[in-house]
Amino acid sequence: MGDYVWFHDVSWHASYAIYFFVIGILAGLSFLSYGSWITPALRPLREKAAYLSLLLLAVGGLLLVADLSQPLRFLNTLNPAYLNFSSPLAWGALNIVAFGVASVLYILELRKGQDSARGKMLALVSALLALGLPIYTGYDLTVHQSRPVWNTPVIPVLFVALAIASGSAVGSLLSGGNAAAQKVLREYMLWSTAGVGVILISILGTTSYGGTAQELTFMILTTGTMGLIFIGGGILLGTAAPVAILFLAHMRQQATATMLMLSALLILLGSAALRYVLLMGPQHLQTLY
Amino acid sequence: MSEELRVSPIETRGVAGKKRYAMVVDTRRCIGCMACQVACKAEYDTPLGVNRTWVPYKVVGTYPNVKKQFLPRLCNHCDDPPCVRNCPVDATYKVEDGGFVLQRYERCIGCRSCMAACPYNARFMLPAHRTYSSITRVVDKCTFCFHRVTQNLVPACVQTCVGRSRVFGDLNDPTSEVSWLVTRNATQVLRPEEGTKPHVFYIGADRNQTEFGRDAYSKPEVMEPERSAFKRHFKI
Ligand code: SF4
Ligand code: SF4
Repeated sequence: MGDYVWFHDVSWHASYAIYFFVIGILAGLSFLSYGSWITPALRPLREKAAYLSLLLLAVGGLLLVADLSQPLRFLNTLNPAYLNFSSPLAWGALNIVAFGVASVLYILELRKGQDSARGKMLALVSALLALGLPIYTGYDLTVHQSRPVWNTPVIPVLFVALAIASGSAVGSLLSGGNAAAQKVLREYMLWSTAGVGVILISILGTTSYGGTAQELTFMILTTGTMGLIFIGGGILLGTAAPVAILFLAHMRQQATATMLMLSALLILLGSAALRYVLLMGPQHLQTLY
Repeated sequence: MSEELRVSPIETRGVAGKKRYAMVVDTRRCIGCMACQVACKAEYDTPLGVNRTWVPYKVVGTYPNVKKQFLPRLCNHCDDPPCVRNCPVDATYKVEDGGFVLQRYERCIGCRSCMAACPYNARFMLPAHRTYSSITRVVDKCTFCFHRVTQNLVPACVQTCVGRSRVFGDLNDPTSEVSWLVTRNATQVLRPEEGTKPHVFYIGADRNQTEFGRDAYSKPEVMEPERSAFKRHFKI
């Protein structure tokens, strides 16, 4: 009553969550494109995944640049005289550029239309650089040790699991009626989404056992509108439901097209909801400090 | 002793020949007149809606034993500042002699990483339009009045403080007033658990203000109308 609290804005807005989502899908697709060199069932996805991943990189890159308050100064992040390597963002900028270059080279090789050793090597390089994208975005949050949830060291691992899940979901939607590819992707979706579930439980558990800031953040995350998006969209619909459907398919060793499509869509919904909540939820409390 | 306590190479604690500026805020002397906030606004043309220093207050106690507790706030010019670590382009940096944490406005890309890294909300984004200054759309913060201090003046907020609640000086100089105050009084820093090693020391700060209160849980909903009204009229 009668208190005077100066309100502060959140540092990162929801557009950053869309960037996380897009970057996750493109990393997952890049893994699939490399996977097609090892698992023949994924062969039909090789080109589609590579093209889509490059397209999403353009979308994600534009989102990221547009989110800066000085968009044209994004070039500063590539200036060796300016780069500060204790910042995950500096590594991220280099990672994005390196991935873009590797992807273009890989696609040029794919366009030659033959399975070359060079193609396989470029696929591997692209996939490894793609792995860096969810890891660096995870570190972007984790290094902020004063923020509950963000400061849990499993965030980069969670982002990798989400990338595999959402990339496989898009792969599953892309591969249509191809039964062999769907069988592999079904397993990828199941185990990566189950991994997401386990990590979420551990984050929620440790957060609720933490100090006042952690406890309050737990309350913010699990109640009200944020709770609806997190528990409803992210955990129940986006994680538990697809795991249940895919586990059923795994046990029966068969799945209908509807089951797969539904699981893929739910995984994408959940992955978007989780990105939003994990980015915005832990910022609420601090705006009042 | 000081040497042993220094854990990060960026820290200036006890470094011979280097100044280590600090502010002591004696909350027992603060009357909540907000003159410091106004002086700072005047010094820097800080735009509407953002502040380099601010004085929140809280009414604590139960009637009839109540009081208003003030907690003047500003950038802590941390000895080990996470904002500096997190800036991808070195647009925020620490001045080794003095410990000022400053901005390179012409280099800042506006990624807000430093804002996310600061545990104290000391940083803000400058809006697109300002009255007198052309520095817009980059992150800004308190400079400990670098331009005044290097001319042997105290910061504008300290100069104007009617209660002499704010005191400024060099902690590495054992004869300075801030050294005396920090040595002779029990002091607190904000959120010491974050390892930032702040250079703003409080005397008599109230826990109701230095910690997250349980009532913070309901505040986002309460404050939302105010926040969105502000955003509607003020493009950041
Ligand atoms: S108070 Fe915040 S902005 Fe100031 S030096 Fe510390 S971390 Fe940086
Ligand atoms: S907003 Fe500017 S000062 Fe802050 S981290 Fe980004 S580039 Fe650095």
